[in-house]
Amino acid sequence: MNNTRDQQDGISMNCAEFQEMIPELFESGTNVSNEAHALECENCAALVRDLEYIASQAKLLLPIHDPSPAVWDGIQSALRTETDNEAPAPTGKRS
Amino acid sequence: MELAEQTKSSYGLTREVKRGIFKTGDLRMSAGPIQPKSVQHLRRNPPIAGEAEAIAKAQGGDAPAFETLYSLHKRRVYSLCLRMLGNVAEAEDLTQEAFLQLYRKIGTFRGDSAFSTWLHRLAVNVVLMHLRKKGLPQVSLEETLEPSQEDGPRKDIGERDLVLSGSIDRVALERAVENLPPGYRLVFVLHDVEGYEHNEIADMLSCSIGNSKSQLHKARMKLRDLLRSGQRKESIA
Repeated sequence: MNNTRDQQDGISMNCAEFQEMIPELFESGTNVSNEAHALECENCAALVRDLEYIASQAKLLLPIHDPSPAVWDGIQSALRTETDNEAPAPTGKRS
Repeated sequence: MELAEQTKSSYGLTREVKRGIFKTGDLRMSAGPIQPKSVQHLRRNPPIAGEAEAIAKAQGGDAPAFETLYSLHKRRVYSLCLRMLGNVAEAEDLTQEAFLQLYRKIGTFRGDSAFSTWLHRLAVNVVLMHLRKKGLPQVSLEETLEPSQEDGPRKDIGERDLVLSGSIDRVALERAVENLPPGYRLVFVLHDVEGYEHNEIADMLSCSIGNSKSQLHKARMKLRDLLRSGQRKESIA
């Protein structure tokens, strides 16, 4: 575990303390990589980079999956049932 | 459970006994449009050609127009269901249920938010209702891994850096997300993939904002472990 001196706050901060703060730092919009501890501790700096990378890549996960044709068949079947009964009816499981 | 039974009973479901999983168990299903914060969603929901006309016609009961809406949005709704559930059969059942609800509720859409945002929220609620009905530990927001593994400071100096390696592609991340514990996956998908804010997630899941933030962080940490593990396996092979 690395112990560093946070020059800004003048308090001692170790890895555990820093990592405990990471969620709030991310949420605050702070550039976490520029936090004093991250600048001095390669381990925590790598962690911050990875977490930033994961969050950024997640935003690029586009919808790529299509449902099978059975889904639309099931919808049509259920809607026909509703129409035939002229009232909302329980939906049927897709075939 | 048969979807018919599930759907019928779920309409009357307002307070599942899920205390200890969700804080209140209070379902936040809305019959009308819900307006999540629009900024991020507008980025993901640009206007779709022909959508407005299809909506208007579908609101008047036009079946082909409803099919058009299905074609336009099936992929996004299904992808959402699949990512939240991690199960193809359930995802298809709930995609069907989401569009059936759309058919019944489309008359209440007033255009206060983007249609895709509104439909998206409807689909999220369908999935959450389903998960609550199943009463699962899989939606527990209290899931934790071994404290020694999850809560301690990371001691992985010298391991390959995901950013520097540049080897994490979309497929690898998709796979890692699928392997997240369900409670983590739910928050991660809603926040990092779908762009919901913590206050919205807290409202949807009936948990605290802090809990949502905590779960998101744990999810990202777990993803990091999963991705690193995948890297190590690749390097060994």
